[in-house]
Amino acid sequence: MPFERQIYHEREASEHSGAFCFAHATDAPFYQLSLWPYRSLSRRGFVWFIGLTAGLISIPLLALLGSKYLWFMLPFLATAVAMIWYFIERSYKDGMILETLTIWSDHMELTRQNPRGEPQHWQANPYWVDVKMHPKSGPVENYITLRGNGREVEIGAFLSVDERKILLSELQDVLARLPE
Amino acid sequence: MADAAIHGHDGHERKGFFTRWFMSTNHKDIGILYLFVSGAVGFISVLFTVYMRLELMEPGVQYMCLEGARFVADAASECTPNGHLWNVMITYHGVLMMFFVVIPALFGGFGNYFMPLHIGAPDMAFPRMNNLSFWMYVAGVSLGVASLLAPGGNGQAGSGVGWVLYPPLSTTEAGISMDLAIFAVHLSGASSILGAINMITTFLNMRTPGMTLHKVPLFAWSIFITAWLILLSLPVLAGGITMLLTDRNFGTTFFDPAGGGDPILYQHILWFFGHPEVYMIILPGFGIISHVIATFSRKPVFGYLPMVYALVAIGVLGFVVWAHHMYTVGMSLSQQSYFMLATMVIAVPTGIKIFSWIATMWGGSVSFETPMLFAIGFLFLFTVGGVTGVVLSQPGLDRAYHDTYYVVAHFHYVMSLGAAFAIFAGVYFWIGKMSGRQYPEWAGRLHFVMFFIGTNLTFFPQHFLGRQGMPRRYIDYPEAFAYWNYLSSWGAFLSFASFVFFIGVVFYTLLAGRRVTEDNYWNEYADTLEWSLPTPPPEHTFEILAKQEEWDKGHNH
Repeated sequence: MPFERQIYHEREASEHSGAFCFAHATDAPFYQLSLWPYRSLSRRGFVWFIGLTAGLISIPLLALLGSKYLWFMLPFLATAVAMIWYFIERSYKDGMILETLTIWSDHMELTRQNPRGEPQHWQANPYWVDVKMHPKSGPVENYITLRGNGREVEIGAFLSVDERKILLSELQDVLARLPE
Repeated sequence: MADAAIHGHDGHERKGFFTRWFMSTNHKDIGILYLFVSGAVGFISVLFTVYMRLELMEPGVQYMCLEGARFVADAASECTPNGHLWNVMITYHGVLMMFFVVIPALFGGFGNYFMPLHIGAPDMAFPRMNNLSFWMYVAGVSLGVASLLAPGGNGQAGSGVGWVLYPPLSTTEAGISMDLAIFAVHLSGASSILGAINMITTFLNMRTPGMTLHKVPLFAWSIFITAWLILLSLPVLAGGITMLLTDRNFGTTFFDPAGGGDPILYQHILWFFGHPEVYMIILPGFGIISHVIATFSRKPVFGYLPMVYALVAIGVLGFVVWAHHMYTVGMSLSQQSYFMLATMVIAVPTGIKIFSWIATMWGGSVSFETPMLFAIGFLFLFTVGGVTGVVLSQPGLDRAYHDTYYVVAHFHYVMSLGAAFAIFAGVYFWIGKMSGRQYPEWAGRLHFVMFFIGTNLTFFPQHFLGRQGMPRRYIDYPEAFAYWNYLSSWGAFLSFASFVFFIGVVFYTLLAGRRVTEDNYWNEYADTLEWSLPTPPPEHTFEILAKQEEWDKGHNH
């Protein structure tokens, strides 16, 4: 279940609902949510791993110091280190997805930053937005979609099944408590 | 934006057979493919051993004749010993077992299937590279078999140089067979390196939140250490055999003293890879055994952290002991002393593991289902192999034992019996989870009894033969060695019968076994993540990280 989720709380306590009306995107939003996939290797861990790998793989080279064999073996060993470096970096890059959902009283926006390619946007009026969970019929279990403005989009597909359940109830809750 | 991808009907379209198995990017399917292919290659490799034991059953040469290989002895007709055929048998038994059977089964098969499940990852970090690794492995197998049939030395098919491919034998072997064998090892190596990179990245970067390195199940740890050993040592082998290839084909003299080369250097390179290789073979087995023993002792494994660091220590020590395979090449006294001491030190972490497994059983509520029988068999056999290993680590004794059947018995006890028992323990432990059908318990137990008796009968007498001075890698022997060779051959036939029986058990289970539906059909001490999944697990587990082609349907923006 590779992901982490962070919720920036409502700017004002929802008990005051009705007291705050945010007419447009220039005002402070009512609710903001960021979602990104989880990655378990810290940058410090990455440095340790590459360092240990480079150190251990050079043990056989010690025996070849000063001989022509060194130059034959070196490219093989250097390639191995370069490859693991590249692929771990690529795995970080594959996880650079950031979905941001921002809700105002009469407007909501979802932005998705992708590892490669342009960011994607969706917007609608929250009054008409339909939040749905598809327990079995989506590409992943408990698939959550938002429908509005004539388009249906997914949210949090990279989260875990349980995290998506929490996300669903939270989204429904926020939309129900929106200030008029 | 990421448009919703809902297919009104339930779940995925069903994939066709070809798409599912030939274009698979699913770690479970690829794991199963690895298990089946390595099983098939293992069968070929075992057939060679049966033919070899048949030949060694009686003094003299009765089957491997220059007049044509026979399967029925015929005293009436002439039989000139065909040493090349014998050498080809031992070479391909070794090459296939080392590169194409045990590592693909344990690391490729169980590793692919269960490591991502154990760490809660949705799949491997690079699913398409996983597919590439598998098919490069298959291509490597094909080249290996092609090498067996291609024209080689002595005007016959195949190369008879031994799996270690030592020069000058390997550089002077005639024909194209040797070159094909080198390419086969190259491909297998490339496949293993790609697989290892995939496993390492998955293990490091795709663990589920909260699963710190000190909480990862032991099997996943063992796969990670194995992958790291592969990444560190296979490039060295690749360099070494590339030099062999240029020596053979481009007139270089890396290993030819006539041109200033050094044939001993090849042995150093080979064993710098080869010693970690034997740990790659056994470490995933350690992981499987840990889970099996904990499950059937109904206790958590004893001393989790020491178990983890013992794995790490075995991996690291594996890189600094290689020359104990070549004490007889003429090293200085200090070199030999160092390699002896370093080798003996390995007994410490392996001892920690053996004692921890015993301590796990101690006071537990032990039951003897088939996987547990194989695990206990593993403990006993691996310890026997380890003890003879300590004996062989001493250069003085090794002078006598080098290249005798004592060494053959030693490494078959640790690898053939250790790794094979671990594979069988894994198969019986997980076959219900993987297939949704359970094996018949009596059949598993019968298989265990036959295999345990058979393998011990095969290899235990070989210690005696080695102590009597019988050298390995010969087609024939003096009559003085006849008694134990005869027994050893019967052991090999019994083991082979048990293997054939096992194949029957597997196919019976897959086609007609009792269906199991519980998520966890053992007990609550089988506590890794795969036991929280339905049996058999659905195609996708623990979610998929959205890949671009999955969510980007390309009709906006």
